[in-house]
Amino acid sequence: MLLQAFAISPLLMVGIGAMLLMMAEAFSKVRGGLALGAAAVCFAGVACAAGVWMYGVETIPGIDAFSPWIRVDRFSLFFDALLCLGAGLSCLMAGGYLPEHNLDRGEFYSLLLLSTFGAMILSAAGDVLTLFLGLETMSLGVYCLAAFRRASARSSEGALKYFLLGSFAAALLLYGFALLYGVTGHTDLQGIGDAMAKGNIRNPMAIMGLVLILVGLAFKVSAVPFHMWTPDAYEGAPTPATNFMAVAVKGAAFAMMLRVLLTAFGDPRSASWASGWPPALAWIAVLTMTVANLVAGRQESVKRMLAYSSVAHAGYLLVGVVATMHSATQASAGVLFYLLTYTVSTAGAFGALILCGRRGAEAVTYEDLAGIGRRHPAAALPFAFFLLSLAGVPPTAGFFGKWFVFRSAIDGGFYWLTIIAFINSVIGAYYYLRVLVFMYMREPAAGAPIATPMRSGYVTAALILSAVLVIALGLGPTKSLSVVFQAAAIFGG
Amino acid sequence: MAREARQDVAPVAPIGPATLAQFLLVGAIGLIASIFLKGALAVVAAGAVAALMPRRVAHAPWVRVALAVIAGLTVHFVLRMWPGADAAADAVVPEGPIKESHTLLSWLIGLPTVGALAVLFLPRQAPRVLKGFTLAVMLGTLALSIPLLSVKMGRDFHFNQDVVWLESLGIHYHVALDGISLWLVLLTTFIVPIAAFVSFGSIDTRIKDWCFSLLLLEGAMIGAFVAMDLFLFYVFWEVMLVPMFVMIGVWGGTNRIKSAIKFFLYTMFGSVLMLAAILYLSYTYSRVNGGNPSFDYFELQRVALRRGTQVWLYGAFALSFFIKVPMFPLHTWLPDAHTEAPTAGSIILAAVMLKMGTYGYLRFCIGLFPEASNEYGASLAGVAVVGGILYGALVAWKQEDIKRLVAYSSVAHLGYVMLGLFSATSSGIEGSVLQMVNHGISTGLLFLLVGVIYDRRHTRLIEDFGGIAKVMPLFATLFIIATMASVGVPGTNGFVGEFMIITGTFVSSRLGHVSGIQSVGAAIGVILAALYMLSMVQRVFFGPITKEENKHLSDMNGRELVAAAPLVLMIFVIGLFPRIFLDPMHDAVARVVSDYDARVQMHPANALEPAKGYYQGPVKLLPRRPEAPKVVTMAAAAPEAPKTETN
Repeated sequence: MLLQAFAISPLLMVGIGAMLLMMAEAFSKVRGGLALGAAAVCFAGVACAAGVWMYGVETIPGIDAFSPWIRVDRFSLFFDALLCLGAGLSCLMAGGYLPEHNLDRGEFYSLLLLSTFGAMILSAAGDVLTLFLGLETMSLGVYCLAAFRRASARSSEGALKYFLLGSFAAALLLYGFALLYGVTGHTDLQGIGDAMAKGNIRNPMAIMGLVLILVGLAFKVSAVPFHMWTPDAYEGAPTPATNFMAVAVKGAAFAMMLRVLLTAFGDPRSASWASGWPPALAWIAVLTMTVANLVAGRQESVKRMLAYSSVAHAGYLLVGVVATMHSATQASAGVLFYLLTYTVSTAGAFGALILCGRRGAEAVTYEDLAGIGRRHPAAALPFAFFLLSLAGVPPTAGFFGKWFVFRSAIDGGFYWLTIIAFINSVIGAYYYLRVLVFMYMREPAAGAPIATPMRSGYVTAALILSAVLVIALGLGPTKSLSVVFQAAAIFGG
Repeated sequence: MAREARQDVAPVAPIGPATLAQFLLVGAIGLIASIFLKGALAVVAAGAVAALMPRRVAHAPWVRVALAVIAGLTVHFVLRMWPGADAAADAVVPEGPIKESHTLLSWLIGLPTVGALAVLFLPRQAPRVLKGFTLAVMLGTLALSIPLLSVKMGRDFHFNQDVVWLESLGIHYHVALDGISLWLVLLTTFIVPIAAFVSFGSIDTRIKDWCFSLLLLEGAMIGAFVAMDLFLFYVFWEVMLVPMFVMIGVWGGTNRIKSAIKFFLYTMFGSVLMLAAILYLSYTYSRVNGGNPSFDYFELQRVALRRGTQVWLYGAFALSFFIKVPMFPLHTWLPDAHTEAPTAGSIILAAVMLKMGTYGYLRFCIGLFPEASNEYGASLAGVAVVGGILYGALVAWKQEDIKRLVAYSSVAHLGYVMLGLFSATSSGIEGSVLQMVNHGISTGLLFLLVGVIYDRRHTRLIEDFGGIAKVMPLFATLFIIATMASVGVPGTNGFVGEFMIITGTFVSSRLGHVSGIQSVGAAIGVILAALYMLSMVQRVFFGPITKEENKHLSDMNGRELVAAAPLVLMIFVIGLFPRIFLDPMHDAVARVVSDYDARVQMHPANALEPAKGYYQGPVKLLPRRPEAPKVVTMAAAAPEAPKTETN
């Protein structure tokens, strides 16, 4: 019993931590320190996941007690750690950002932690019912976070869009699951998968279900053409919440996508180019990469550009998901590794963006950043570094992320898809470079306020942590590669 | 800059104790040099330069000393490297297995890179410290690169270091050097300090960022020339882009940002396609090698591919290199980048970075895809002649901006280099490699001199000048020497390279029956070069002085002179003693040519694919080459790298 509790300790840690923080916020008179507490809870979650991983989750007796509702395996442990890392970085950023911009209200951290809890459930769910519960738990928290700047019309607008479209997507997903239940009589993914393996994919109702599920998943990972909510919600939300959406929500959505597609639709017929989901997903990937990159180049707001860039990264990730058709383990390992590098690079970029602004003068547009590289190199250098990582310049983490995903696509024989992805990464380099250009090569327009960075130990800590991870993953990815391969091994093949 | 120059010229020092001390100083330095260098002639040369240098040239004692040292070192270099006078070298290097350091190349890469990181921790407010430190690191790298010459280069690769980096992916840190990359590495370590030194006179903003970029760039360029693992090569190739992007974008001219972005995106577009090809090649290798991937050059060379795949891979690699060279019609980024880049950026870009493309083609396209190189070589040679040499020359002729003119002349010169590579004859390739060095030196010097005049007048338009040979005689002399080298007048370096390339093209059997026409086209290019360069020289330097501003220009100052001196000397050293440079590369080029011929003739043409010589069966591995270093499999450096004979 105790060992079983140990097995789900990351979940317990974050869930209980969220409750305690809420209590502390409500009843304690001490202000401040909430961010530190929330970050500590998250990093404790990472530590718990690492502990369970090292103990050997397979050796824990009675680990199946939770299944099929919650599957405690290396895959979910990897995502526990990843999501907690993303959430922890967001908490650290919030610790600097919220007080600076007069938004320091304690419910931010409880919402964020509960959302993380939902995301962790989502990545561990082996049954569509828990999956939906996790999804809603995660999403409701994020809707609130997106609307956190109550005074800002833009924030409310973004949040409302996000809420409406998100609910719509959830409904589609639910409808898809219902149809599948009708075909197979199962709500657990494994059971659905077994039934689909018997050739149910030719059943029109199953096809309908699959399509609805794909649409729902595409909404959640914000793939084109289901991405409309992303820029508005990302721009309106306070930047730490944006980071959380870009990192943790997207990570959990990809975990859900991999698990649903590979478990429920992993049979040779459903996962084939001729009669299954891969071609649809490949087209979505091509659209996502191309549209997002082209649109991102036209943005005037850095935050919006980063939103589109996160959509583009979803496109690269989808290339990896398509490649799972060929070799489930290798390709999904690539996706997991990409998520890891994407998490640290994106978190670093948002953190640096936060650092570049201060009260009343948040750095949002390119113009806001003009000349900052010359006046405040300590704020600009990390920003440049993380953007280069996002652009995939070696030897940073982002380069290796792309490397593995594209390699699995080439191994799988998706040459055209890979070429399109490569060309897109060049287009992507353009708008990342633009930030560098403004920071280092432009001066602010005459009369425009000159950006001054804020000072915050919290944000600096988040940046240092991300930078260390980006460098470590860029120079020596061997260890983390073996981790993602073990995590992806649950898909066999 | 102008202020400094005036200070140098204005005081006319009387002969007195200062002069005496100056001569004594030179004498002491000569004495010390004679002890260490064991070359009396070098000391004599140094002393002669020190004593005879007219005062109007050597304004200050330190200029005199520096010029003397440069002259002495050059003489010493020639004496030491001259094949007949090898006795001294033999006495130093004992017989038996050659002792060579396996970490030397890593030092060469590491020193500037670590130096770049160290610059970040130096105070921004102390430009003298930053400049001194940067220059010291660069000179240290230059000194470290001299031992590369002490090993007799044969067909083999030397200074081999192979360390497993990422075991599961087959990625190694593998660096090695042969007679071809030897000269390119030396060119890099030679040019970069010169560029840095001259830039310190004209760059006065953000010195710290500038020093960081220069050092990082040097490390990455050396790395790209010696990387023998394709992954490592790609890493260096990409890392190189960022500092150059920053250099153009921050310290460039008015249109700098557009040019910088254009430069970055052009190159990156090519390189991602190359990355895709590298990934595919490694994947193919792992399929036939029992699932063990490798990115090692010598391993991937063994993969025999059918035509269908090889052509695509060749295309991806070649596109990336052609953009970098740049070959017509992919050259449009180059004039913009050059026009906007600061002087040092232009020097490095022209002298070293463009060679990345030609070197890459020689090493990777010819080395990995010989059949495809053979198939397309003839057509591409036509592009190199018409689009590079002739079109580049004609466009250069019409330029109004001196720097743009020199940039287009680069397109023409690199057309020669590519033509020599396409001809795939021993003479052609040797000429190409030599011409890479030549172009680095003569175009580097031209850009340096254009920078000199730009610093004084802040214009580069030909029409703004005229008759300035009267006010700047020293400058005019050096510029005309550089022009002669660029045109290829006998006695200068350009002649040797172009002559070898043209003869190599003429006798080439790979270019089919048009090789004669192509060599005639290349020869016409030489005439055109004389036309556009000399007409520019005539308009800038001779005739009456029409502009009032030009009447009181100061001649070259000490810094500029010291920076230009080594380049001027090297023009004549290569022009008069080309054997020094050709001998070490001879066997390596012979290896490239014989491997190439062997691969192309290995599979005779058949009815399906006539006269192409492609391999037709399923993908397989050829036997290992004799010159390939042993593969390292454990996570440790290979202490010895004996040549395996497992043919």
